[in-house]
Amino acid sequence: MDSYDVVVIGAGPGGYPAAIRAAQLGAKTAIVEREAWGGTCLNWGCIPTKAMISAADLAAHVRDAAALGVRADNVRIDYAALLAHKQATVSKLAGGILSLLKAYGVTQLRGQASFQTRDRIRVAGADGESTVRASKVIVATGSTSAVPGFLPKAPAVIESRAFLDLAELPARLVVMGGGYIGCELACMAAMLGAKVTIVEMLEDVLMLLDADARREVRRSMEQHLGIRIVTGRGVDSVDAGPAGARVKVGDEWIEADRLLVAVGRRPVTDGLHPERAGLWPDEKGYLRADGRNRTAVPGIYAIGDVNGGPQLAHAATSQGTIAAEDACGHRGKPNEALVPGVIFTMPEVALVGLTEAEAKAKGLAVKVGRFPFTALGRAIAAGQTGGFVKWIADAASGQLLGAAAVGPRATDLISVAAVAIPAELTAHEVGRTIHPHPTFGEAWMEAAHAVSGECGHLPPPRR
Amino acid sequence: MPHAIVMPKPGQFTEECTILRWLKKEGDPVAKGDVLFEIETDKANMEVESFFEGTLLKILVPVGGTVPVQATVAFVGQPGEAIPAVVAPPPPPPKPAETPAVSPAAAPAAAAPVPAAVPLLATPIPASVAPSSPTAPAAQKISPRARRLSKESAIDPSGIRGTGPGGRVLEKDVKAHLEQRGYARIRITPAAKELAIAEKIDILAVRGSGEGGRIGVEDIRRAVDEKPKVMSRMRQVIAQRLTQSFTSTPHFFVTVPVDMTDLIALRREMKDRGAPYSVTDFIVQAVVLTLKEFPAFNSGTDGRSVWWRSKVNLGLAVSLENGLVVPVVRDADDLSLAELHDRAAALVGKARDGKLAPDEMSGGTFTISNMGMLDVENFTAIINPGEAGILAVSSTRETPVVRDGRIAIRSVMKITVSADHRVVDGSVAAGFVNAIRAKLEDAALWRRLA
Repeated sequence: MDSYDVVVIGAGPGGYPAAIRAAQLGAKTAIVEREAWGGTCLNWGCIPTKAMISAADLAAHVRDAAALGVRADNVRIDYAALLAHKQATVSKLAGGILSLLKAYGVTQLRGQASFQTRDRIRVAGADGESTVRASKVIVATGSTSAVPGFLPKAPAVIESRAFLDLAELPARLVVMGGGYIGCELACMAAMLGAKVTIVEMLEDVLMLLDADARREVRRSMEQHLGIRIVTGRGVDSVDAGPAGARVKVGDEWIEADRLLVAVGRRPVTDGLHPERAGLWPDEKGYLRADGRNRTAVPGIYAIGDVNGGPQLAHAATSQGTIAAEDACGHRGKPNEALVPGVIFTMPEVALVGLTEAEAKAKGLAVKVGRFPFTALGRAIAAGQTGGFVKWIADAASGQLLGAAAVGPRATDLISVAAVAIPAELTAHEVGRTIHPHPTFGEAWMEAAHAVSGECGHLPPPRR
Repeated sequence: MPHAIVMPKPGQFTEECTILRWLKKEGDPVAKGDVLFEIETDKANMEVESFFEGTLLKILVPVGGTVPVQATVAFVGQPGEAIPAVVAPPPPPPKPAETPAVSPAAAPAAAAPVPAAVPLLATPIPASVAPSSPTAPAAQKISPRARRLSKESAIDPSGIRGTGPGGRVLEKDVKAHLEQRGYARIRITPAAKELAIAEKIDILAVRGSGEGGRIGVEDIRRAVDEKPKVMSRMRQVIAQRLTQSFTSTPHFFVTVPVDMTDLIALRREMKDRGAPYSVTDFIVQAVVLTLKEFPAFNSGTDGRSVWWRSKVNLGLAVSLENGLVVPVVRDADDLSLAELHDRAAALVGKARDGKLAPDEMSGGTFTISNMGMLDVENFTAIINPGEAGILAVSSTRETPVVRDGRIAIRSVMKITVSADHRVVDGSVAAGFVNAIRAKLEDAALWRRLA
């Protein structure tokens, strides 16, 4: 039987960096994957959607480019070529992961991992079965789309993974769930020409955002992309036929070629048998872990979506690294508390740290500095003036506690805030930092001045 | 002519009070009976009403100001009336830092017109017993540039030896201090430094918990939380008085278990008939009766003289959210059980509402401290200055006891007397607690008394 210092189960964005980190620290490491290297993120999540959204976004920009003096009439979508671009992107990155794992000397085991005991793991694959011994185990098995039981099992009712593999874009799409996955895919489909309806039970879509950011995104989705957004009501029932589905929302039946279910994700532990190692999932199926990702069983870690923390690839990567270091005897700091979020809607949205609503709920005295892209030279030159950036700062010290960006390049812009906030910079410090002109990033400097009401590129604040 | 509003004298031993809050501002109309301001004495807070009608013309003592009683604090009159030349209120007479609550001179108080009134809280303490503070004391001589550099660097200059005239701290002294203490090696986040300056935290004394020892906002917050803060007046009084008592009185302690089973049964029976008594009422009554049998516990001493009190003024320790007070049932030995119940209930209620008058908290001759509701096996209490003992009453618990040669489950409550060995000997203390015990275990006695 082969013995390893560290065995990682699941090769998604949490698992493979964990394996590489353990190998860097000198551990004899193996990684088990039953499906596809790179996990959901690379194969059916972050990466393929961005390949497709990039294409859709480009098409939308080209259509709008006449105002800038660029005429490109008859812009058409070749969906098959678009899918090929998506597939090529995924293949290239998956190949990269495999060669990295190989370069670091991580043993790759293909198949379903299941615990036999605390330190023995059976791997059952197409080429047969083997059992390995592991001193430390990092469980990184991820999550999958949750599909409510009342929905019929039919080809017209799909979740995000199946949606990405559709050979054709549905002409009429109903999206159940107005969270970030639902909204991203709704925007993409609308930009590619589909007629889209979003049905969200809560009072608004994207409830993790502050009201000002939601207003901005929702206005663009409704007015610019023509998406119909129904809020405060859920999907009551669905009639699925061979060619489509009728979706009942309140008194209304909405006709759709496809119903995309995006109501959340649930942890994956099927076939793993953690209980044989003495590790029991909680009532929702998560393998709970502490701030260093240690489960209740010594030597077993749980990272990423399966541990019930923030379901974001970059959070899983960070946790995976911390778990690998702990497993190799390097006791570092616990998990980072500050996890930025990015949403590839049209316009893009990103946030990090406290929102205004959270600050209010915590009773903190904060000041907000907001700067709209309508007042920024670079944005006007690019013809992309929708949205704003804002800082949320401690009223007394000016410490930056949170940030949000809505508009062009918001998902890239947020990284500045993700560095500034844990560095405990103040609005004053960011305001006096020279930002290159003319760039979108200048908006952060202007918004920092606006925290104290001293932004010279905005009219004086009303008293 | 405007009327002068003076600081009242809320208690016969109160010499100065602090203004907590003005409820009227200058120019406000004032009616007779309107509350003008709120004051804090060394014992309590109270509201002060106006005896006059008119307009609040001038406030002389701002919030936080401490002045002697009878000092003028404001004027009420008709708008436009000239205000008399303002005489600054005289500062309170200087006091020694530590005055014994019962000075030797107070010993003959027994013969004085108010014999029972050896005060519980007679010693006004200095308005603020300043704790060691990280900020520069006012006395330090420091140049403005040196002060500014200290502030901008978020450090405390008070420990710096000045090389200027008369030991004045100069900018170069601060610079030398920073160099010597390795200031340049300190890593601190911008927000943490802002907070340190605002909260007057010396960052040289803060250990950073960040990467490479970098000081972050959390580290400064912790330093702010751990910074010495001036205690409330109530806590300062508690600290001063209990330290004085515990360090100057030779305490000893005697504990007995009391079998409360029969009394609890009797009380339940009485309650069903509509009698209001609580177990505490029985304990209070038993103590009052026993004090008459053991007068040494109702006396006071300074180590040279002893004074016997003819009446029992029983103090009841009441814990509040932020400290404790001891309302006193005066002439408790003249009261029936029913009267004791009513008086104690009224005083404890006032104590909880913060409405006790200072005179309702002084003059005690013996005190009961009851932790019965706090689920404790046993504890000892510190004697209030001027008294000879205090009774600590603990929780009543189901306990296996030997009765008539068998083990029985009984409701047992431990009581512990703290005695001042200068006036009370061990045998007396043993007799005292056993006498209380005998009364509480004697159901027939309570049938008679109730």
